[in-house]
Amino acid sequence: MVMDNLYNQTYMKQACEQLQGTIECDFVGLAFQESKGPNIGWKYASGNSNDKYERITLRYGKGIAGRVLSTGRPMEIKYFPQNILGKALEYPIMLAEKLLYAYAVPILINGIPKGVLLVGFRSETSISDDEKKFVEKAAADIKKFLSLEKM
Amino acid sequence: MKNSPTKNQISSYIIQSQEEEIKRIALELHEGVGQTLYSLYSGLQFIEQTINSSNMKSYVNEMSQLLEKTIQEIRLLSVELHPPTLTTLGLVPAMKSYLRMFTSTYGILVDLDIEGQEPNLTETQKITLFRVCQEALGNVAKYADTHFIQLDFLFVDNNLTMTINDNGKGFTVENEMQRSSGLAAMKERMNLIGGQCLITSEIGKGTTIDVLLPL
Repeated sequence: MVMDNLYNQTYMKQACEQLQGTIECDFVGLAFQESKGPNIGWKYASGNSNDKYERITLRYGKGIAGRVLSTGRPMEIKYFPQNILGKALEYPIMLAEKLLYAYAVPILINGIPKGVLLVGFRSETSISDDEKKFVEKAAADIKKFLSLEKM
Repeated sequence: MKNSPTKNQISSYIIQSQEEEIKRIALELHEGVGQTLYSLYSGLQFIEQTINSSNMKSYVNEMSQLLEKTIQEIRLLSVELHPPTLTTLGLVPAMKSYLRMFTSTYGILVDLDIEGQEPNLTETQKITLFRVCQEALGNVAKYADTHFIQLDFLFVDNNLTMTINDNGKGFTVENEMQRSSGLAAMKERMNLIGGQCLITSEIGKGTTIDVLLPL
């Protein structure tokens, strides 16, 4: 996608860091479709505890990010791995970053989910409705930035 | 009066029945649904080339991409359930295929070392070794908190040795054996085919799983 130039990379990295600072969460990840092929990977992260996210390719329809991509709707997980759909092994980013809470929203380009923005905590915390709106706004800002870049 | 089947025979029968069903579903996904979707994907690509309207072209392209992702997921699901290469090419090629999927799913690197030549293993031996390895790798992804696994296969002197080693956070084996049915199932599966599964772990240093099978 349009993630390859330095300006875009700086913008995305800063967007993750700013969101982490505002929500005061432990982890923020931004996944996008690769420039070639159908694969979607975690391109940017803030607060990551290791580099596993760089090697993870999202499974379409699986886990929190995979489901957000397939449904195009936000998803929240509380007290992971309790009360999850499927098995804990289907949630790689939760396992890789040892997250107990996550809220993920789609980044829609022309109405189609092309990316995922995720905020997470390593403690049994959750975020308020206002904070959720802030995450959604951050995703909308990223979408706007990408749309402007394409023009 | 005929002798009743032993507990081991019943366990073997249940496992074998489940494996046959899993294999059937995996094959159906890979060869049936997967192939049909691929035909649809090729057809959509052909249609896309003939469309002049840019809006419509872009819409068909999105549909193609969605189909491509679905085909890929079906392929991965099939490898997870029962790799098609396990029957056709053997344990090592199936493990290689599974390890590629494991690294791209969990971000954990696996170094695979093979010494000797894979002998002719029975279907039951191959699937048991594959399942034990799959369970061990899954446990690393869930609990070990590490980014690297060493997996060794040794085929020498009519013996097969498989060692899975991680330098993760480790655990107390006695406590986990009582708590986790996954670890007990690994040992039981190996016992049923005449092998052994030894689990050693030290907190802060990691875990080693040694699987031995006389051939």
